Amino acid sequence: MSSLPTARQIVVVAVFTALLSWGLQALTRTAYIEVFGRLGFIGLALLMAYAAAGGLRPRWLGPAPARLAAVVLAAPFAVLATAVATQGGHVATYLDQPSNRASHVFMMVLAIVIGVPFALLAMRGERKVRERADRAQAALDKERLERELLDARLRILHAQIEPHFLFNTLANVEALVAAGSPNAAPVLRHLIAYLRAAMPRLHDADATLQTELQLVRSYLELMQLRMPDRLQFTVTEPARAAKLRFPPMALLTLVENAVRHGIDPAVAGGRIDVGGRTDVGGVVLWVEDTGVGMAETAGPGTGLSNLRSRLKASYGAGARVELHETAPHGVRVELHFQPGGIE
Amino acid sequence: MTPVTALIADDEPLLRERLRAHLARLWPGLRLVGDARNGEEALESFEVHRPDIVFLDIRMPGLDGIAAARAIARRAHIVFVTAYDQYAVQAFEQGAVDYLVKPVDASRLADTVGRLQRQVAAPVRAGAHPDPQLDALLDRLAGRLGGRIQPQPEWLQWIKASSGTSLRLIPVEQVRFLRADDKYTRVVWEEGEAIIRKGIRELAEQLDPARFVQTHRAVIVNLGCVEKVVRGLNETADLYVRGCGEVLPVSRSYLHHFRQM
Repeated sequence: MSSLPTARQIVVVAVFTALLSWGLQALTRTAYIEVFGRLGFIGLALLMAYAAAGGLRPRWLGPAPARLAAVVLAAPFAVLATAVATQGGHVATYLDQPSNRASHVFMMVLAIVIGVPFALLAMRGERKVRERADRAQAALDKERLERELLDARLRILHAQIEPHFLFNTLANVEALVAAGSPNAAPVLRHLIAYLRAAMPRLHDADATLQTELQLVRSYLELMQLRMPDRLQFTVTEPARAAKLRFPPMALLTLVENAVRHGIDPAVAGGRIDVGGRTDVGGVVLWVEDTGVGMAETAGPGTGLSNLRSRLKASYGAGARVELHETAPHGVRVELHFQPGGIE
Repeated sequence: MTPVTALIADDEPLLRERLRAHLARLWPGLRLVGDARNGEEALESFEVHRPDIVFLDIRMPGLDGIAAARAIARRAHIVFVTAYDQYAVQAFEQGAVDYLVKPVDASRLADTVGRLQRQVAAPVRAGAHPDPQLDALLDRLAGRLGGRIQPQPEWLQWIKASSGTSLRLIPVEQVRFLRADDKYTRVVWEEGEAIIRKGIRELAEQLDPARFVQTHRAVIVNLGCVEKVVRGLNETADLYVRGCGEVLPVSRSYLHHFRQM
């Protein structure tokens, strides 16, 4: 909304006043140029008032009433100004004559009667332009969301098991086997469960919260084997949520982050708690660690925004990822969503 | 002749044990004088025992293996141990430093042991002389791993705002604008609003200027959330924020950011 009229508005006013002047000059038998001069001036003055009201936007009046009021208020002044322009200093004597006064009042009424519908039409036009822009924006947003989801899915497909994690874990398994430890078999089972779940796949329709929590538990068991003195963990399944459909790797991403950025850099290690609750407000799942916490300049990484778009794709736009800093140090990530979302 | 001594530094106990068992079999004469769970413990143990050989895991909490190697410098033979780091391995191959890849392969370790035995037996040790070749290698390693091990301080990525008993971490890409409000600053982001203590001036210095721009003494806006800027009187303007219907002031001294808009 600018405070100046558009070129299109000026052309419309000029053409309309030109036509109207032609009709009036036939009626009043005045010179065309004089009638058009007055009407054109009044029309342009009202248009300026309309546009200026749009630009000023007083706080105590809505934009539409403000513009109509500007047109109605400007009309008498514009008409008076044309009288002054044509009569010069003799305005008072000119207006003393009843016939002149009548035509003056007629002009005012005409200005208002024509100006107000024009203002309404102009506002309708502007609203349509705005709506069209909004629709284009909405389409753009939708397209962006779809593209993000596609990206997220592609990244999941490309998600690789981190070689550093794999070889370190294998080194631990080898050590257990070489030492003849009874732990070797259960650890291998955890590794197999983790690898099976972490393999790239196209369809995740049968993934549930229960399978996700099993994956998380396998991963944490492996990590605890590697750093028994530095990692403690709990995984608690929320009530009535086992069969909930859940985008695979979503919780695991958070747990891997908690290990990599929270526990790994902490010399004393820490604990990770994975849990959740379901109530009327929906489902909340969380991953909380007592690691080193997060610097305000820590790179956000693609993992979290990826997770955010997958969560929204699974449960609708209301789904969200919340990060909290916990005392004395550590990070708590919460996933909030309504299980009855889209899909 | 005093026995050759060695120190093992790895944050994973099973892997320390495994390497210890391998060495006991391949080099029965080697005396292992200490275990370390991180770089700092490795340095402490090194100063106490002064071993001839140090096996250093690269990724350890606190002080990592590269920093520990720098501190030990030429006072011991260093063997790096790593699970998987193609960059590190490349760097080792260019330099003269020995390295092992986990899980440790016994025949590969036997080669390393043979090499170490010859080096330890050599009469003259370089002592505390600086070794430019080693320094260059460690610099290269630190540079390659630096992105992961020592993140550079950069622009603000998270805004901490108290919510209830905890501190909420708001990713800056979700922030629409920040506006000073008396003593506090109001943060408006995709999922709500919060009040923080940090002032606008401080925030303006810490936020990425490619993403955030100050429009007024009291206002910073995310450029991605600008719907439009409407010029007003007196070289000022109104800035419409996308998605929340808020209108922010743009004052004369900041208007140049929007000249082209």
